[in-house]
Amino acid sequence: MKISSLLFGTVAAACVMGAALPHSASAQVSADDFNALKKVVEQLGDKVQKLEQTHEQDQKTHQQDQQVIQQLQQQLGETKAAVTNAQQTADNVAKAQAANPAVNASPGPLHNVTMAGDAEVQFGKTAGQHSAFTLADFAPLFLYRASDDVLFEAGFDIMNNNNARPPGGHSTSLSLTFATLDYLLNDYMTLQAGQLLLPLGTYSERGAGWLNKIPDDPMVRDDLLPQTGTGVQLRGAVPVGETGQMVSYAVYGVNGPSSATGTATATGDLDLAGNVGNGGNWHANPSGGGRLAWFYPWKPHYDFELGISGQTGDWSDSGNRSWSAAVVDAALHLGPNIEVKGEHIDTWVETDDVGKIHPSGWWIQPAFKLAGLNLELPYINNVELVGRYDRENDDGLTAGGAGNTKTDRYTAGGIYYFSNTLLFEADYEWLISHGVAPLPPNRFILQLSYGF
Amino acid sequence: MNRFRSIRPARRAGILLALLAPVIFAASIAIVAGADTNAPVAQASELKVAAAKTAKKPEKKKLTGAELYQFHCNRCHAERYATEFTSAQWKTIVTHMRVRANLPAAQAREILKYLQEDSGN
Repeated sequence: MKISSLLFGTVAAACVMGAALPHSASAQVSADDFNALKKVVEQLGDKVQKLEQTHEQDQKTHQQDQQVIQQLQQQLGETKAAVTNAQQTADNVAKAQAANPAVNASPGPLHNVTMAGDAEVQFGKTAGQHSAFTLADFAPLFLYRASDDVLFEAGFDIMNNNNARPPGGHSTSLSLTFATLDYLLNDYMTLQAGQLLLPLGTYSERGAGWLNKIPDDPMVRDDLLPQTGTGVQLRGAVPVGETGQMVSYAVYGVNGPSSATGTATATGDLDLAGNVGNGGNWHANPSGGGRLAWFYPWKPHYDFELGISGQTGDWSDSGNRSWSAAVVDAALHLGPNIEVKGEHIDTWVETDDVGKIHPSGWWIQPAFKLAGLNLELPYINNVELVGRYDRENDDGLTAGGAGNTKTDRYTAGGIYYFSNTLLFEADYEWLISHGVAPLPPNRFILQLSYGF
Repeated sequence: MNRFRSIRPARRAGILLALLAPVIFAASIAIVAGADTNAPVAQASELKVAAAKTAKKPEKKKLTGAELYQFHCNRCHAERYATEFTSAQWKTIVTHMRVRANLPAAQAREILKYLQEDSGN
């Protein structure tokens, strides 16, 4: 009975599976078809294997061909270079022989010399004076690249001043604006030695005639700060990320301002140019200074720069009087047509006669190119409107104990760009000046500038 | 339950076997079919992982010499045309501007490369 029971169960299971299998098998592939398909797949596999082998052989052949082509190209380049050199040598020899048999065909010492610079002519009228062509200035800049790491640079000012009457008179001068040896120590640091343009703010380094959008300088730049100093400087920049941001720095030691007479009174003794100016070096210790700045561009033509700089040192051994300055500078560009820049300047001068005085001032200069209006009118796109406000308080630096002079100056003008380097500037200035040595109430200046 | 218990054990085993057979068969079909249907999903997810591994992270766009030229040079003066100076002159001038304008060396090199591409003869 047991056997019959198991048989019954097995038969029952077989019946159920038999009933189920035909339905599912009807959706499957038959054994013959499967075998045929398997054979096809195996044949395809063989074909793929053969193709892969063929491909590998082709790749090897291609690589060999590439190497041969490269060698042939190299040989061709060398042959071309040899031919070119031979032709050049033949030409040079022929020219040299024709002109002078002794001429040396080498590039010569002037090969790495480049001249840049600018030139200006001014016409102007100051209240209470006649109008006149007041200035002709040629300011060449000579650059000599001695090697990839060494650059000599020197800037000169050859200037003729024709003063309108009164007081009249004229003067012609040749001066050395700056002269430095630059040694690029590495990607982030350069050593400069010589007569430096001082990085007190940015105006000294970026204020050449065709760079400055107004013909004259802000009052505080001319009256309160030295433009140059003789000494050494370490400077450079460190990029921040890959977006163009950078932090720039400069640290320097220079002779610094001096006394024109050897004494330290406030009435005209301070010679800001120091011993590179009119007077000798009337002090023993050099001055030290530096600048730290952050430049943040967020897309081409859109950027912001903020810098802080300063200098301090003795200017006269008469009582060890010190002179110090602090400058905050900023510049903003909002596209290729809008610019705003300015500086705030504080100085402190110890004197024999009036103690410590605090001459100071600031200026701000917005500019707008009319091309930004997209007017498509003739000439309009070449015009840039410029304005400037500058203020100075000499705090007795001019007249000493007699008192101080405060001046507010408003300037409005424009630039017409004949080209990217030839420009005509026209400006009118209103001055509100109070104190011991007030300035004339108004003035206009026309200037033609060329940068090269 | 009592009736099922009254059936002899061997017959009970046969009945259970008969009942289990279709269940096992159905389950096996479901498992095989499930494996087939899940296969593409598994392959796709593996492909995604492999692609994620092999795909390079999007690199930050490096500034070109032309962009750096616009960043730096127009800050102080109108832009000069590349054709205004020779390749050797540009090298000297860019060295000068690297010092004067405190340009990072790598950026100065990119600007020089850009200017020398179209420099004058």
